Amino acid sequence: MLANYLPILIFLFVSLGLGCMLFVIGYFLGPNRPDSEKESPYECGFAAFEDARMQFDVRYYLVAILFIIFDLEIAFLFPWAVALESIGMAGFWAMMIFLGVLVVGFIYEWRRGALEWE
Amino acid sequence: MIEQIIFYFFAAILIISASMVITVRNPVHAALFLVLSFFSSAAIWLLLEAEFLAITLVLVYVGAVMVLFLFVVMMLDINLAPLREGFTRYLPVGILVAVLMLLFMALIVSSDSFNLNQAEGIKHAADYSNTAELGLILYTEYLYPFEIAGAILLVAIIAAIALTMRKSKTLKTPKPEQQVAVKREDRVRLVKMESEKRDT
Amino acid sequence: MFEFIRNNLLSPFVGSLFPASIEVQALYTLDALIKIIVILIPVLLGVAYLTYAERKIIGYIQVRIGPNRVGPLGLLQPIADALKLTFKEIIIPSGANKKLFIIAPILSLAPSLAAWAVIPFNDVAVLADINAGLLYILALTSLAVYGIIIAGWASNSKYAFIGSMRAVAQIIAYEIAMGFALVGVLIAAGSLNLGDIVRAQDGSLLHWFWLPLWPLFIVFFLAGVAETNRAPFDVSEGESEIVAGFHVEYGGMAFSIFFMAEYANMMLISILTAIMFCGGWLSPFQGVPFLGEPSIIWLLMKTSFFLFLFLWFRATFPRYRYDQIMRLGWKVFIPITIVWLVVVSVLVVAQIPPWFD
Repeated sequence: MLANYLPILIFLFVSLGLGCMLFVIGYFLGPNRPDSEKESPYECGFAAFEDARMQFDVRYYLVAILFIIFDLEIAFLFPWAVALESIGMAGFWAMMIFLGVLVVGFIYEWRRGALEWE
Repeated sequence: MIEQIIFYFFAAILIISASMVITVRNPVHAALFLVLSFFSSAAIWLLLEAEFLAITLVLVYVGAVMVLFLFVVMMLDINLAPLREGFTRYLPVGILVAVLMLLFMALIVSSDSFNLNQAEGIKHAADYSNTAELGLILYTEYLYPFEIAGAILLVAIIAAIALTMRKSKTLKTPKPEQQVAVKREDRVRLVKMESEKRDT
Repeated sequence: MFEFIRNNLLSPFVGSLFPASIEVQALYTLDALIKIIVILIPVLLGVAYLTYAERKIIGYIQVRIGPNRVGPLGLLQPIADALKLTFKEIIIPSGANKKLFIIAPILSLAPSLAAWAVIPFNDVAVLADINAGLLYILALTSLAVYGIIIAGWASNSKYAFIGSMRAVAQIIAYEIAMGFALVGVLIAAGSLNLGDIVRAQDGSLLHWFWLPLWPLFIVFFLAGVAETNRAPFDVSEGESEIVAGFHVEYGGMAFSIFFMAEYANMMLISILTAIMFCGGWLSPFQGVPFLGEPSIIWLLMKTSFFLFLFLWFRATFPRYRYDQIMRLGWKVFIPITIVWLVVVSVLVVAQIPPWFD
């Protein structure tokens, strides 16, 4: 089994290496003439008033939290889907209850307006 | 041979990045080192042939949990100075927790009930599917823990919404479904007007 | 305790990957490297000529002729572009976090290329025939947000930051729909291995999963368009409002690495759609003497068709508004996929022919 994963590891390193290599090539082949105006962050023609890293609406965090929960749910669905044909009706209903509980949560967030954006 | 090299490589990365998490000053760097340590522990799990758990670690922790962490440290703009002030005050509690953790780890590692003394991981054939094996017992033998996990996730959804939802009264939201459903007759009225006679 | 450390940490894995000698291990690694290059070069060439195809096709859709100056029919245009980008200056803004600014494009390219490791090109040609192929793909696509989020933050520019935050919230919303759609395919095929998924669709055009999994097919492809931040879901780049989004501060090669990642992702989504819903390398005329043979050509034709859809969408649809994107992801796609998951699992459990008998 592990022998199958070795090419993946090599592939990961090759693609990381390719990215680094392209960057280095671009860095050395391109000109490098720094200039204080050129290196200032992009704004529409005026100096920035404040730090660019501003605070964001709390609903971005909410979306990220909900994403974690649904991601976990998907992680639970994977082994179930693979084993569905061998675990029989009991296994099928186990997941239906699990999904039902989470659908309740989904309806709750829908009704509370957690999915509204403006 | 190759396996040892890979193990020590990722183990070294894991230890280095984990210690960087608690030593670097920039919180974004710390979060990214945590990503790296999750990633290398996934590689080590994979060496133990825990295929499903390893990829799920990347999927859930790296792909979801750490994104939230990064969101928070990037956007909340945390001022670090007041956080540092409390360092000495919380140090005793921190040391206590650390010692307790160490104790527990030693207990688990040295006990016989977890069968950890087996130096060699169980090797499986190339077509062995870790995911399917997990599915076979998770939804039959461990049915109740599984459903409890579902209930905990539900609680998490409700708690997250209850903690973060602050409905702002000033914001007005357009409803896309209503916007799409608008017909010409609702908005435009054709009025027939008699042309007026020009005064001469 | 000490015994444990000696036993476990000093010789963690007594058995080795390969029973054979070091020479065989080296040969195996070399073999993998050659295969990786054989996969990567067509992918990178594909990326280059996808940009050409994009300009040409959108040109014709808009009644222009597109690039036609460099080489015959403008065919050397992508090479000229690549050369030009190579010789452009890479600007690192003064306020930027230098290390992260450099790492971001590399982190964005690596997962979009590494995902190709598990793609089967025909019945036997696959680099890593792992059992958890689909899970691996999902994990790697979830890594794609890092390049964007780090680029936006490291640039220390408002446009980049806003663009990356938008992109991340959008990508994670659509990733859930995508994950559910993948689970649907998984239920239907009963395996996580991409080759087995294609084999499960063997039979005829009607056995392919696009028919029983029709809603998931649509959701998967559209979620793929949204995940790659392509038009009409490209608010994270939104030229008219936030200039170029997360890569506004990047120039030259650093920009083109982002660009390559985006196009490699488009190709990945297209080939995945072809494999999971349209029978991969299987022929649509199964049973017919010559045309019915399974071949990589079928896979490439299907992939090209989905790539064409990407370009067609871009030329046709105006950009979505951000709240509409989030609404579509959360309130339309996720309910559809959950409902269809239940439908598919009932079909599988009840063993409904002709797909699941």
